Amino acid sequence: MTLYHFGNCVALVYVPYYFTYKYSGLSEYGAFYKCIHSGAIYIFTQLCKMLVLATFFYSDTANGGGDFNFFSEILRCSVDVADLLGFALILSRIPGKGHSKLITAGLGWATAEVILSRGIMLWVGARGTEFSWIYILKCLDSNVLLIQHITTATLIWLFTRHDLNKAYKPIVTLLLVVTIFKGVWLDGLLHVLAIGPWSTIAIKALVAAIIGFCSLHIYTGLAQQIGI
Amino acid sequence: MFDDADNFADIFRGGLPYCLLIALPILILCTPAALASDLQVQRMAQFDINGVSLGCRASAISLEAKSLYTWSTGRHCVLARLLDISVNDFNKIRQKAGGLIVLLPNNLLALSDEAKEQVNALEQAMLTQAVPVPVYFSAPNKYLEQIVDDITHTIDDNGSKKQNDTAIAQLFLSISANGYQVTVSGANAVANKNSKISVIQGELLSNQYVPKRMEGTDDYNNLPVILITANLKTFGIYNDYPLNADAAILMGLIELFSKLHSVISTTPKYRLVFLLSESGVLLNFQGSKKWLDDNVVLQNVEFVLCLDTITQSLAYNQQNVMYMHVSKPPKEKSSISNFFKLLKLAAGEHVENVTVEGVHKKINLADTQLAWEHERFSMKRYPAFTLSSVKNPRSPMRTSMFKDNEARIISQTLTSAKIIAEALASYIYNIDQYAGIFDGHIEINEEIIQPYLGVKSVLQNSDIKDGFEKYLKNVKIIYDKPDAREPDFMFYEGHDAKLNVYRVKPAVFDLFLTFVIALYLSIVYFVIQYFPKFYDVVSKFTKAEPSTQLNGNYSERVKTKVN
Repeated sequence: MTLYHFGNCVALVYVPYYFTYKYSGLSEYGAFYKCIHSGAIYIFTQLCKMLVLATFFYSDTANGGGDFNFFSEILRCSVDVADLLGFALILSRIPGKGHSKLITAGLGWATAEVILSRGIMLWVGARGTEFSWIYILKCLDSNVLLIQHITTATLIWLFTRHDLNKAYKPIVTLLLVVTIFKGVWLDGLLHVLAIGPWSTIAIKALVAAIIGFCSLHIYTGLAQQIGI
Repeated sequence: MFDDADNFADIFRGGLPYCLLIALPILILCTPAALASDLQVQRMAQFDINGVSLGCRASAISLEAKSLYTWSTGRHCVLARLLDISVNDFNKIRQKAGGLIVLLPNNLLALSDEAKEQVNALEQAMLTQAVPVPVYFSAPNKYLEQIVDDITHTIDDNGSKKQNDTAIAQLFLSISANGYQVTVSGANAVANKNSKISVIQGELLSNQYVPKRMEGTDDYNNLPVILITANLKTFGIYNDYPLNADAAILMGLIELFSKLHSVISTTPKYRLVFLLSESGVLLNFQGSKKWLDDNVVLQNVEFVLCLDTITQSLAYNQQNVMYMHVSKPPKEKSSISNFFKLLKLAAGEHVENVTVEGVHKKINLADTQLAWEHERFSMKRYPAFTLSSVKNPRSPMRTSMFKDNEARIISQTLTSAKIIAEALASYIYNIDQYAGIFDGHIEINEEIIQPYLGVKSVLQNSDIKDGFEKYLKNVKIIYDKPDAREPDFMFYEGHDAKLNVYRVKPAVFDLFLTFVIALYLSIVYFVIQYFPKFYDVVSKFTKAEPSTQLNGNYSERVKTKVN
C-alpha cells in the first residue's frame, strides 16, 4: 500500500525474530555469527534441493492452476528430507551447548528463509499501491515458521542422541515425518476443507504449537537426564 | 563486517547506518512497486469543429473511485455502468466530479427500448458539449463489475444502517472500509497534427461508344449529373467500429449501376457521380464543403442524393419509414418530386411495407452546425435531398456508436438499398411504374453490402478505394486538412489508455494496523520472557526420577518455542 504499510509488515515479520535472538540469551553468547553460519547452510541446502528438484522431478505447475496435486506434493516434500540433513549439518558444525545451540540453528535457518523468501515479496508487494491482506498473512505465517524450525532443530538433535530413551525414539521419528510431510497432509486437509486464509494460519499455528510442545516434553526429559 | 560482529547491534556501530541512509532512498526510488491489474480503456472522443471544442478535454486521473450515488467532490472519480447513468447525472459529473469511468454493457440486444433510448440520449449529451473531466470507457469486465458492486454495496449497507449504528461501529467501518484508487496516467491529449478528412469521388463512365450513339449530346460531360453522397462515420464517443450502412449502400449502388453501365443498351443518359466523405453530422459535413469548394464548375446537376443514417444501429420503437429531407418543398414536375414519386412507388412494391415521407426543413443560416448534408448542396443551389431513417435532425441515432442485432441491420439495409436502387433506376430510364430491374440476376444482396458495414475510414485497408477503382473512373481522393491558424476541425490523439485500479485502505487503517501489530509484538515479547517459567513447568512433569537439579543461568534455559 505505502511505505508505511511495508514498515508494518516488516515489523510483523522480523521483530519476533529479533526478540527471540535478543531475549533468549543468544545475544549474550555472541551467537550472531553462528546464526549467519546456519543461514549460509540453509542457502546451501536450498540450492542442493533446487538442483535435485530441477533435475529429477517433473514440474506441472504450468497446468496446476492453484489446484492441490497430492502426488506432486508428496514428491516435493520427499525432497524436503534434505532440510533435515541440512539441520543435522548445522547441529554438527555449530559449536554451542544445550539450548542455545538449538535456538541458533533454528533461528539462523528461519531468518535466512524469511529474508530470502519474504523479503522481495514484501518489498515489491507491500509497497505497492494495492492493499491486500496477503502480506499480513504471509508475515504471520513466517512467525509460525519460526516455531516450526526451532522444533525441527530440536527433533533432529533428539534424533541424533544415543542416550535418548528408547521409548521416545519412534515418537521422535514420527514427529519428524509429520513435520516434513506437513506440506502434504496439512495443506491437503486445509484444501479439502476449504478453510479461509485466517483460519489456515490459526490451524498452522496450532499444529506447530502441538508438535512443539511434544518435542519440548521429550527434550526436557533428556535435558534433565544429561544435565544441561 | 559480519565476522567480527558478535552481536546484532554490532553491525550498526560501523558504517552500515550511513550506507543504509544513502542506499535506502535510492532503492525506494528505483525499484518499482507492484502494479495492480492493468485494464485497457478507451478515452472519450475529443475533437474541435468550427472553433468549438467538443468531447473529453482532459485525460489524467488519479483519484478515489466512488459510485454514482456517493461521489461528492472533485477528488472523486465516478465509476459506473453505462445503463445507470442518466443525462442529469452526467451533467453533474461533468461539472463537479474529477473523472468518469463508464463500464459498457455486455449485451445491447437484451436492452429494453427505454434503456436504449437512455443510452442514446446520454451518448448525445456527451458528444454535444465539452467535457472538462476525463471520461473513459471500459469494455465489459468482470473485475470492474465487482468493484462497481463493491462501492455501490457499502453505500447501501451504510445507508440502511445509519440510524441504528453505534458510534464505535461507525468508527470501525470507517477504518476498515475498502477504497479504490483509480489512475490513468498520461498527459493531456495533443492535437493530431495530421488531422485530415478524406473525401473520395468517382463516376460511372459509360461505354466509350455511348456518347457517339446518342443524338443531341456531343460531349459526355454535358450529360446531366446525379450526385450520390454518403458519409463515413469515423468516430463516436469511444473508439470502435461504428455502423456505416450508408457507405455500404453507396458501395452497393456503385456495383449495381456499374453493371448497367457496362452494357451499351442499358447505358443511361446520366452521369452518376459518387462521393464518400469522412465527415458526418459531427464534423458539420466538412468533407462535402471541401469537395464543393474544389468543384465549383459542376454543371447540369439533376439532383444530389445524400444518404444519412439509412439504417439505425440501435433499434427502438421504429417504424419502417424512409424520410426524404429537403430544404424547400420541391415544385411539381421537378427532378426531386419525380424521384420522390418513384421512391414511393418502389417502396410500395416492396414486401417490407416501407413508407416514404417527405420532410421539409429550412436551412438555418444563423446556425453554424448544419442539420443535413443536402443543405451544403442546397446552399450552392443544387437540387438536393437527404434520405434517412430518422425524422429529427437532432436524433442521437445519427452519431451512435452502439449497435445491436446484426441480422436486423443487414436486412434493413438491404431493403433500403433495394428501394433506392429501384427508384434511381426507374428515374434514370424514365420509367413511370415499378420495373423490378433488380429482381433478376443483378440483385442487391448481402455479399455486396456486408463487407462495408464495418468500414471505418476511406483509407482503411484500401477497401473503399479498391471498390471505387474497380467500378468507377476518375477516382480521386482529396484530403481536407485544417488550416494552421484557424482550424475548421481538429482531432486529438490518445484513444487508448491503461487504467489501474488499486484497492486501498484509509490512512487511519495503517495506524490501526500498527497499533494491533505493536500489541501482538508485545505479547510475543512477554511470551518469550516467560518461556523459562513454562519450561520449568514442563520439566516438573517430565521429572520421573530425581535428577540433577537444573542450574545454569536464567537465559540459558530459555528455549523459544512460542513467538
